[in-house]
This record gives sequence, C-alpha cells and structure tokens, in this order.
Amino acid sequence: MSADIALQLLFSGLSVGSVYALVALALVIPFKASGVLNFGQGEMVTLGAYIALALSLTTPLPYYAIVPLTLALAALVGVAFERLFIRPLVRAPEFTIVIGTFALGLMVKFAIRLYWQDNVYSLSVPFSTNPWIFGDVRINPVFVSIIACAVALVAALAFFFQRTRAGKAMRAVSQNQEAARLMGISVERVFSSTWALGTAIAALAGILFAPVTGIHPEIGNLILKAFVAAVIGGFDSLPGAVVGGLLLGLIETFSGAIVGSTFKNVIAFAVLILVLLVRPYGIFGSAGARRV
Amino acid sequence: MPADRARWFWWPAIAAVLLLTPPLLGTYQLYLVNIALVNIVLAIGLNLLTGNAGQISLCNSSFMAIGAYACTLLSTKLGLSFWLALPVGGIVAMSFGCVLALPAMRLSGFYLALATLGFLEITQTMIEEFPGITGGIRGMIASRPTLFGWKLGSDLALYYAFMPIVACLVLVARNLIRSPVGRAFDAIRNSVPAAQSLGISPVRTKLIAFAIAALYAGLAGGLGAAVVGFIDPVEYGTGASLRHVTFIVVGGIGSISGSLVGAIVLTVLPELLRGLKEYSDFVYAALLLAFLLLLPKGLVGLGPMAARLWSREGRVSGPPLEARGGPAP
Repeated sequence: MSADIALQLLFSGLSVGSVYALVALALVIPFKASGVLNFGQGEMVTLGAYIALALSLTTPLPYYAIVPLTLALAALVGVAFERLFIRPLVRAPEFTIVIGTFALGLMVKFAIRLYWQDNVYSLSVPFSTNPWIFGDVRINPVFVSIIACAVALVAALAFFFQRTRAGKAMRAVSQNQEAARLMGISVERVFSSTWALGTAIAALAGILFAPVTGIHPEIGNLILKAFVAAVIGGFDSLPGAVVGGLLLGLIETFSGAIVGSTFKNVIAFAVLILVLLVRPYGIFGSAGARRV
Repeated sequence: MPADRARWFWWPAIAAVLLLTPPLLGTYQLYLVNIALVNIVLAIGLNLLTGNAGQISLCNSSFMAIGAYACTLLSTKLGLSFWLALPVGGIVAMSFGCVLALPAMRLSGFYLALATLGFLEITQTMIEEFPGITGGIRGMIASRPTLFGWKLGSDLALYYAFMPIVACLVLVARNLIRSPVGRAFDAIRNSVPAAQSLGISPVRTKLIAFAIAALYAGLAGGLGAAVVGFIDPVEYGTGASLRHVTFIVVGGIGSISGSLVGAIVLTVLPELLRGLKEYSDFVYAALLLAFLLLLPKGLVGLGPMAARLWSREGRVSGPPLEARGGPAP
C-alpha cells in the first residue's frame, strides 16, 4: 500500500469514524444520565436528515440556517420522546427498555417511509464537493467538513461538561442521582436535557452524513456501528465513545481495503463480540458500571 | 368441575378440532394455518429463552435462517430426505446457539442485546456474501417434502404432516418448564446470585436456554421453508427478530399459552389489516410498544385480570385470602 493511498484511507476512515463517534456520543450521553440505552437512536439520525431535507424543500432558508433549526427541532423531539415514552420505562426491566426503544425507532422509520417512500434524496451543501488534489492524494471536502464538525462538537462538549452548570449537573446525575437531588439538581430536567442533547447530536450526524450516503430511511442502520464504537470505548465513557468511533472507522476502512469490502461489516461485529467476550467494559469504561 | 375431569374433556375436543376442521378451510386459509404453526414454534423457543430464562435475544431469526438453509441445502443439494434434514437443520442451528452462548453466558441486559444484534448482522452478511451456497439476496427455492413416496403438494397434506410435529414441540416445551431445567430458568431470571446459592449453574442454564431456543428456531426455519416453498433472506433480518419478540410480548411473556396466542393472533391480524397494507409495519411496531407500556403481561394476562374484576363484583364468593392460608396481614 503506497503512502498516498494510505493517507486517503486515513481521511475517509477518520470521517466515517467521526460519524460513528457522534452517534456513539448520542447513545452514551442519555445512557450515562438515565441508564436507558436507546436502541432507536439510529432513527433519530434518519429523522435529523429528513427534517433538514424537509426544511430545505419547503423554506427558502440557507443551509447555515437550516442546520441549527434542525438541531433545535430534533432536541424538541428528543424531549417529547423522553417525556412520553422513556420516563415510564426508566425503572422497567432491561428487556422492556430494549424492545420499547427499538419499537419506537421502528415507528419513526416506518412513518418516514410512509411519507417519503424508499427514494434516495440528496441534501445540497453550500460548498463544492469536487475533491481537493494534492499531488496524488485526493481529499473529499465533505470528509473534511465531517471531521471539522466532529472536532468542534467534541471540544464544545468538553467545555460544556467541565465548565457549565448544566453540564456539571448532568455529570452529577450520572454519578449519583440521590446525591444530585440533595444538591438541588432536578434529576427529571437533567434526563430531559440529556435526551435533547443526544437527539440533537444524532440529528447532526444525519445532516453531516447525508452528502455521503444520500437521505433514505435506512440511514439509521448506522446505529449498529455506533453500538460497536460505544462498546469498544466503554459504554459509560464519553472520550471512549469518540475514540471507539474513530478506531472503528479506521479498522473498517483499512480492513476493507486489505481484505475486500465483503467482510467489512463482519469485521465490525466480530470486533463487537470479541470486545464483549474479552473486555466487556471497553477500553475506557469501568467494570463497576452495572445495573442490579 | 375438578381439574382432571376438565382435562378429560378438553384434550379430545382440541384434538378433534385440530384434526377435523382443516379440510373445511380454503387453500389460502390453510396456508395461513401452516404459517401459524411455524410461528408457534418460533414463539415457544424464544419465550423459553426470553420469558422463562430472562435472556434478551434479538437474533432468533438468525437461527431460523440457519435451520432453513441447512435443511433446504441438505434436502435439495445432497438429496437427503426432508424428515432427516429437518432435525439435522435444527441441530446445526442449535450448535450455533451454543457458539453464541459462549459470549452470551458472560453478558446480560443491554450487552447481551448488543451481542445478539451483532450475531444477527454477521449471519445476514454471511448469507448475502456467499451467493454460491445460499443464493445470496435472491433467495433459494425449497422443494416440498415427500412422505412414504407421496409428495406433500397441497397445504392440507403439509398441515397433517407438520401439525403433529408442532404439537410434540409444544408438549415438550410445556414439560420442560415444569422440569428442574425449567425451574432453573426461572431461578436465573429472577436472580443469578440467588440461583447460584441454590446450586444452579447460571452458565450451564444459559447454555441450555440458548441451545433450546436455537433448536426450536432452526426447526421452525426448516418447516417454514417447506410451507413457503422459498427462502428469502430478507425474512431473517432485524425486522423478523422483532416480529418474534412481538409474538411473545403480545401473547404473554413466559407462558406457553402466551406463545400460542401471540403467534396465532399475529399471524391472523395482518390479514385483517389488509386494507391498511402500507401501515401494517407501523401498526405492528405500535402494537409492540403499546403492549410493553400498557399490558406487559400480554393477552393471556387479560384472563386473570378479568377474573379478578368479576370476583370483585361479588359474583364469585370465596373465603378471603387469609382464610385460605395466604399471608397474614
């Protein structure tokens, strides 16, 4: 493998990995606070892409206005879902949570499919998608935009969780709900805001990924890769989700180039089962994180 | 009426209905009945694993796929008799169930759900990537079985051949629940540490549960391929697994009658909803969510609930709970 091909693979691996990392963050943030793992979060990615599509078709707004509007709408959807469906499930057995969130996601997906059918739409981006050419290396600006957005988001999240009251409240709730309540933190409000945050991040992943895959109802299948990423990183660690996503993107891209694309998907899930078998709490997770 | 005399009445009545009514049904209705038989086997296997042993499985359809492909390939490519290929297919699926149990034994809850989801994706990819063996995404034609030289061409003949098999599988599951193995399932579902303190090995029990669920799903795969006459890999994806979960949630978790009710109702329901064909997937998912949130005991949970309402109105007079030896206040 020559150096320029490796560099090109590095870029596409990092960009796919960034999307995995974002969706993994969208899973882990609500999970840490409320202990509910949303198996339907992939459909929030799809929903984000479709909200952006609907806004771009029905309003004359520019792309840079559509993106924040989509994120705000997605956050509202997240809050609504949390209030209506998730809060009654927080104390339910894990089976109920898994199947309930799965069913919720499927309902969103089928509703989208009823209206938009299985057509593939594209969302126009406000910059040229012609590759930048440096010598023998061709770099797709879409990939660069994905990586840049992911880096900016991770930095913003780090600031949010370290420095702001709301972020500190979320961390407090994930550490100990009782103690957080005694400190005057409204645990319910934190649940709502983590779901808003998670859904908005998922929607951002959908918008960023749309130029790569097009918009169709199956975008949400991305969630499977995000699960793998979150498991690699350890389910209760935000840096773990980012590292796991990037790692998975790179593993997939390079192994796809070496052994052929046939087994690309198998490798991701083989990694999943292997990690679960050997180190179920991932690279950064703590072994003690267990619901009893 | 005493319970045993009631049983004397019910068994011949059920047998008579099962044996005598099918010739009165039309071809399409018989086809649906056969599909219901397959779904019953699927629901019972999954219910033993999820309802009784308490292990989440999102890959029931993978074992069904393994059984279907193994059974069909053995009988069409190697010329094995269907009646030999069917159990062999089930055993192949069971061995895969034991392989999956290796990681699954150490996991529970969300992590187990993820591992089974991973297994599902791996089998789906394998089916698609080996079109030389599996026919890939285009599927594969499954031939109809023959019995004593006769080809079971009609759905009626297939019904009479398959119904006794399904009845046996139902009875085996019913007896299993009442055996020490079934009690061990209940124990590890309720509390693994408590089960261990009673000398029950959670590892062994989970292995048995996964093996039995995979065996049932594998057999259902072979039966289903023969009923439909075609293997379509799309029928073994995540959607299918969720459908199997819906059978047991709607019917009733952890009970044989729940599996029966759920499988039958959800085989017939899509036919009743035919007018809203395009909404049927949505209705299915909504039904699953509604039952989980509002009626977690499923349709069979309605029976005792209705009985309680009935007795609260004073029509059934019995001694209060304490007088019957219940817990004193």
